[in-house]
Amino acid sequence: MASAGNSGSGDDDSGGKLLADRYQKGEVLGEGTYGVVFKAIDTKTGNTVAVKRIRIGKDKKEGVNFTALREIKLLKELKDPNIIELIDCFPYKENLHLVFEFMETDLEALIKDKNIILSPADTKSYVQMMLKGLAFCHKKWVLHRDMKPNNLLIGADGQLKLADFGLARMFGSPGRNFTHQVFARWYRAPELLFGSKQYGSGVDIWAAGCIFAELLTRRAFLQGSSDIDQLGKIFAALGTPKSSQWPDMAYLPDYVEYQYVAAPPLRTLFPMASDDALDLLSKMLTYDPKARISAQQALEHRYFSSLPAPTRPSQLPRPRRKGDQGNNKIPDLNLQDGPVVLSPPRKFRRVTAHEGMEGMHRADKVDEHPSGMRHTDDMPSQSSRIPMSVDVGAVFGTRPAPRPTLNSADKSRLKRKLDMDPEFGYAE
Amino acid sequence: MAANFWTSSHCKQLLDPDDVDLVPAADRERGITPEEFRLIKIHMSFHIWRLAQQVKVRQRVIATAVTYFRRVYTRKSMSDYDPRLVAPTCLYLASKVEESTVQARLLVFYIKKMCGSDDKYRFEIKDILEMEMKLLEALDYYLVVFHPYRPLLQLLQDAGITDLTQFAWGLVNDTYKMDLILIYPPYMIALACIYIASVLKDKDTTAWFEELRVDMNIVKNISMEILDFYDTYKIDPQRGIPEDKISSVMNKLPAKA
Repeated sequence: MASAGNSGSGDDDSGGKLLADRYQKGEVLGEGTYGVVFKAIDTKTGNTVAVKRIRIGKDKKEGVNFTALREIKLLKELKDPNIIELIDCFPYKENLHLVFEFMETDLEALIKDKNIILSPADTKSYVQMMLKGLAFCHKKWVLHRDMKPNNLLIGADGQLKLADFGLARMFGSPGRNFTHQVFARWYRAPELLFGSKQYGSGVDIWAAGCIFAELLTRRAFLQGSSDIDQLGKIFAALGTPKSSQWPDMAYLPDYVEYQYVAAPPLRTLFPMASDDALDLLSKMLTYDPKARISAQQALEHRYFSSLPAPTRPSQLPRPRRKGDQGNNKIPDLNLQDGPVVLSPPRKFRRVTAHEGMEGMHRADKVDEHPSGMRHTDDMPSQSSRIPMSVDVGAVFGTRPAPRPTLNSADKSRLKRKLDMDPEFGYAE
Repeated sequence: MAANFWTSSHCKQLLDPDDVDLVPAADRERGITPEEFRLIKIHMSFHIWRLAQQVKVRQRVIATAVTYFRRVYTRKSMSDYDPRLVAPTCLYLASKVEESTVQARLLVFYIKKMCGSDDKYRFEIKDILEMEMKLLEALDYYLVVFHPYRPLLQLLQDAGITDLTQFAWGLVNDTYKMDLILIYPPYMIALACIYIASVLKDKDTTAWFEELRVDMNIVKNISMEILDFYDTYKIDPQRGIPEDKISSVMNKLPAKA
């Protein structure tokens, strides 16, 4: 706050600076392929935002990054509650900055957090929000092409939003060829794996189906280690498609015949899912893209009208959010939500454990103890709505200094979000 | 009609004709008249088109580039944003947005080749990249543009007069010498071109137009504007505006910094 108004020269990475006369610069959240992301306060609205700095300075050859340009182009057209909002763009010191609404976490963090129990209603709510975002994209003829849990961000209000449109494209021009090297492999539709270059919105639906399955079992559904293996995994789970099921399959560029495997009953893979859930899932994971359900049809599926009703977003469980040190606005920003309040000693332990923790830090109901004192059972997930700031230490000044840097787990998670996950890399 | 025009930023940004013809204050002070302002835009549309022929990009990229160019000058002055630099930068940005990137160094190379003798047109890569950023800002980061080409093909098919395709397509190309794309929905421009083509080629499309239930007054107004344009300028489609006519106008703009 001290340097408000001072948007002139100075160290680029020092916090507290006011950018574009509007954004109070906060801590760095991570570094991606095309620039640094940092947290900031929008002084016009008081909201926390995430600012992506698009590096241009480095090689002065091709100007504004192509991926960033795609994101700008499409997000300027896509305004929807279930799509990340691009609030603003501005140039500063030769770099382009994109301002997004700040999102607390993402679906991957949530799925991996073993301390969180997802009720069938919670899962339904996430799937519904995901499909609403997709339906909006598809209505606007935009393919996301990179649907995966860590591109589905979750806001403080529990809303799930599609993010990372760096691979997205407009479609609908017949005859235009697209690359099939899109999506992280585990979420790649079979037509893409067979090299299709003229695909449509079905590719996003397939990925959404995989994410649906992942929500049901809490592990990635089809974990192939190569494209060939990915198809093998798909066929093992859903059976080798017959030409009657998918007439165009044999005409795809990279089609190879696989040994026939019969489909095991879907029920055996998802023993806990409801019949409606399985019916919708099987329609999203239909082989023939032409027969695959659309996002809009999926939203009208009886899964969403049958009981239990989807959980209201504000009531959804969420991972323990990262600390907010260095952000002097903490109290009014964070009081609305927070993790379960544990008794003081454990609360303190949780804060310290967080700092050095190698895991994913999302201990909503903390359980770092190898002795196995799990409290998840006696703590319904709804109880996490008690208004209490997350970073107790920082707020009450019990912890002396603000956390100096992000820990490595935070960083690696953010890096993945910035599409540089080596494990999920797009085989180019 | 792929993508939804009615909910697009393009649709929301459509302008009143009077606003498009307004000469920015800084240019007015330099003595540029509305007529000259229009002439420069025609001239630079040709410049973009010629440059695009060299680097070989799709029609759509050219159309988007010209649209950017014209949109910029509804907001910025030519005195502050040198059209000789804005034009190639629009082509550069449009090529990226339309997913068929042209390298900046290639543009620089062909500009040199085309305008070698005229120093005012010569720019370096860094000039283009700097202008790209300013351009994005001037466009308020709205980059998606719709064009009449696709509706044109669909409408011609629907009317059963695909033999007029080439002629009507050429007419659509020429509409980018005007500001129509900033004012009217693309499909209306397409309809106007079909209307002109069918009248000139003696095809009776009256019944078809009636069935469409579009506002024929708008279609006819656009058609008149297009015909007026041909009448007024009588431009040689290969050469553009003759040098002696344009150079005195261009000289009113500040020299390169």
